[in-house]
Amino acid sequence: MNPAAESFIQEARDILEELEGILLELEADPTNPKRIDAVFRALHTLKGSGAMFGFATLSGFTHHFENAYDRIREGKATVTPRLIQLSLASRDHLERMLDAGPDMDGATAQDPATADLVAQIEALEEVQAVKPAESAPKAERFLITFKPDAAALKNGLRPDLIIEELAGLGQMEVLTRPEEESDSREIDPAVDRPSWEVAMETAAGREAIEEVFIFATDWQLEIVQVTETPAEEAAEPAARCAENQTEMAAPTAGQPTNEARSAAKLDSVRVQSHRLDELMDQLGELVIAQARLNRIASELGDTGLASTAEEIERLVTGLRDTTLSIRMLPIEPVFGKFRRVVRDLSTELGKTVTLETRGGETEVDKNVIDSLTEPLVHIIRNSIDHGIETPEGRRAAGKPEQSELVLRARQAGGEVLISVIDDGKGLDAEAIRVRGIERGLIAPDQELSEEQLFALIFEPGFSTATTLSSVSGRGVGMDAVHRAIDDLRGTVEVKSQKGRGTEVTLRLPLTLAIIDGLLVTVGEAPFVLPLSNVEECVELPVDEETRKSGRSLLRIRDQLVPFLNLDTLFGFDRVDRSDRRVVITSVEGRRTGLVVDEVIGQYQTVIKPLSLYHRGIEGLAGSTILGDGSVALILDAAAVVRRAQGALRAVA
Amino acid sequence: MSDTVQFDTALTFSLDGERFAIPVGHVHEIIDPLPVTRAPNADPFAPGLVNVRGAIAPFVDLRRRLGMGPAVVGETSRVLVLDLVVGGEPTKVAMLADDVDEITDTADTDLEALPELGVRWPTHLIRGVARKDSSLIIVLDVDAAFSPTPTQMLRA
Repeated sequence: MNPAAESFIQEARDILEELEGILLELEADPTNPKRIDAVFRALHTLKGSGAMFGFATLSGFTHHFENAYDRIREGKATVTPRLIQLSLASRDHLERMLDAGPDMDGATAQDPATADLVAQIEALEEVQAVKPAESAPKAERFLITFKPDAAALKNGLRPDLIIEELAGLGQMEVLTRPEEESDSREIDPAVDRPSWEVAMETAAGREAIEEVFIFATDWQLEIVQVTETPAEEAAEPAARCAENQTEMAAPTAGQPTNEARSAAKLDSVRVQSHRLDELMDQLGELVIAQARLNRIASELGDTGLASTAEEIERLVTGLRDTTLSIRMLPIEPVFGKFRRVVRDLSTELGKTVTLETRGGETEVDKNVIDSLTEPLVHIIRNSIDHGIETPEGRRAAGKPEQSELVLRARQAGGEVLISVIDDGKGLDAEAIRVRGIERGLIAPDQELSEEQLFALIFEPGFSTATTLSSVSGRGVGMDAVHRAIDDLRGTVEVKSQKGRGTEVTLRLPLTLAIIDGLLVTVGEAPFVLPLSNVEECVELPVDEETRKSGRSLLRIRDQLVPFLNLDTLFGFDRVDRSDRRVVITSVEGRRTGLVVDEVIGQYQTVIKPLSLYHRGIEGLAGSTILGDGSVALILDAAAVVRRAQGALRAVA
Repeated sequence: MSDTVQFDTALTFSLDGERFAIPVGHVHEIIDPLPVTRAPNADPFAPGLVNVRGAIAPFVDLRRRLGMGPAVVGETSRVLVLDLVVGGEPTKVAMLADDVDEITDTADTDLEALPELGVRWPTHLIRGVARKDSSLIIVLDVDAAFSPTPTQMLRA
């Protein structure tokens, strides 16, 4: 695909994303002319630029969609729930059309879904009361001169499509075109900068003509209105373009000029995310190389080298922070997607739910954001399906019929906290206990805190819902959430009050690429434990060392902490030494000691994913290369502790 | 996984006194043995990871899969770095060979089916045998021989 078409797809996706938000706002406020205009403008831009970049099918479809809104603008129709429903469906359809790519060889493809939606949109128009058409706006004459910049032509921009589109606005005559009679596509754009001169008569107005050139930001463009309109000629073109006259109502002055538009675009640069990934990869290599340099410098003891290494360390740290900040994006667009999810779901389930989002400006690493949508959808579905009561149920419970779902993001330390809070019926700890026993997840006599009971909802196969809906209740949702968040090196916390509501909080690291860790050795192999899970390191008492079996507990400042030998857990042979250490970890509020052979020190490292040969091993989060060139494995503290606790339970 | 490499040219190497062949298209490089980091609770077939010029690669022990005894690193031992597609992902995989012999031409037509009896390795890992200078070369089915075990695939 040529770069121009690719950039169109990018822009079109942005427009569609925005469109979804506007449509949902319009649904809440159906008479707001600003919103109606916004929908119309978005569609119009899509139609115009789509045609220009070879998306004729998409453009043709958008035309029908746009017409419906034009009728509303003209007061011939009103915004109805049915229209919103259709509009959302059409928006989704446009997204699929974008995925399909541009038309092949300019041929417009026909697909039944398109035809079906067009038919539905048109049916809508017929149903709505049709006011007699007002007298057609007067046709005006324009003289248009345009000169594309060389880069645009090189990128595959097609002036012939622009001219075709102008022809759609009214009667048009091309006065001059470069190299008469030659196909415009054969011009060598690198050699000459051709220009076109077009005279046209249209009732659509200047704005409509400008819209045709909306993507041509760097072109020389001149649109001159020719004032005297010959009366005898006016009638005919007006009739000819009757079907197009809805394009634009009265022309308005003071449109932003091309110069102003291109100036506004200079503020940000669009970069493909894989380039950022490459940058991050190379930075990772740099961090590793720098660790090696530090090691060599300290071994050699040369002050000149040591200070240079220090200097480089400072620069690398700065570079790392800058690179990471480039990858940080506000979470708002993800939140925006959920407006639609909440709307569709509450409609389907017959519940009235309003969504409130807070802290949308909170910034999170792009990779984290990309992996967040799925688990959040599961949690939100669960809240609406199981948490929030039906309107009758809410009335009976003395609550307002309208329930509120809050999505909140905030930063705390090196973590991002994302909460989904509902005011539904809350979790039933007793029902969860019964279910847990039923499913064999807990022993009947096991004493668990409320928090521990709530954690059971994330176990595979757990579901307390008595009826299954299409939405959730098959018990596959929440354990998927747990796994997804685990993969992101995050944790899930649940707070709930019966009758009052539930709050599910995801704790996530700010970035996935780099980890602050504690380097330890177990059975002579190096491992990195995420520092965020490490509380402290203590010596392993010698008498504990000799103990053969039974539950191992360590007294740390009047608290008993269970501990486990990592070499046993890993199936490694015991290294014979007397000064072994215990790393006290904290996972989901519980402390567990992990016995290691040696604690080497704090270590900042880049995480490399594991291959399929090792990805399935529980407890491993990735791998990294140490300063001496050896490979170290990065542990997933939560998974290791889970495994350790399972082993402890088995021992006890 | 599809094996599109033409079976024209293959690299032969030794394992436990037997000669095996793998299409050269899969061989990225041949290097000296290097330290292996053991992975905890790993499948014996893929016991660890190695650092191949700054890239981390899984280290596999083909002997395990072929039912041979554990490898001993000797004078002639070499590590083959292979370019494979594992579960749809391009993956560099390192494996230890007792010796690397030669590059040889084995056309598909030279392949003979394995005799049903008297074969000590799992036949589904092998495409066939080729006769060369009165000795037998066992041509590996790369996808089968190097696939992570089915249980691992499920867990992943």
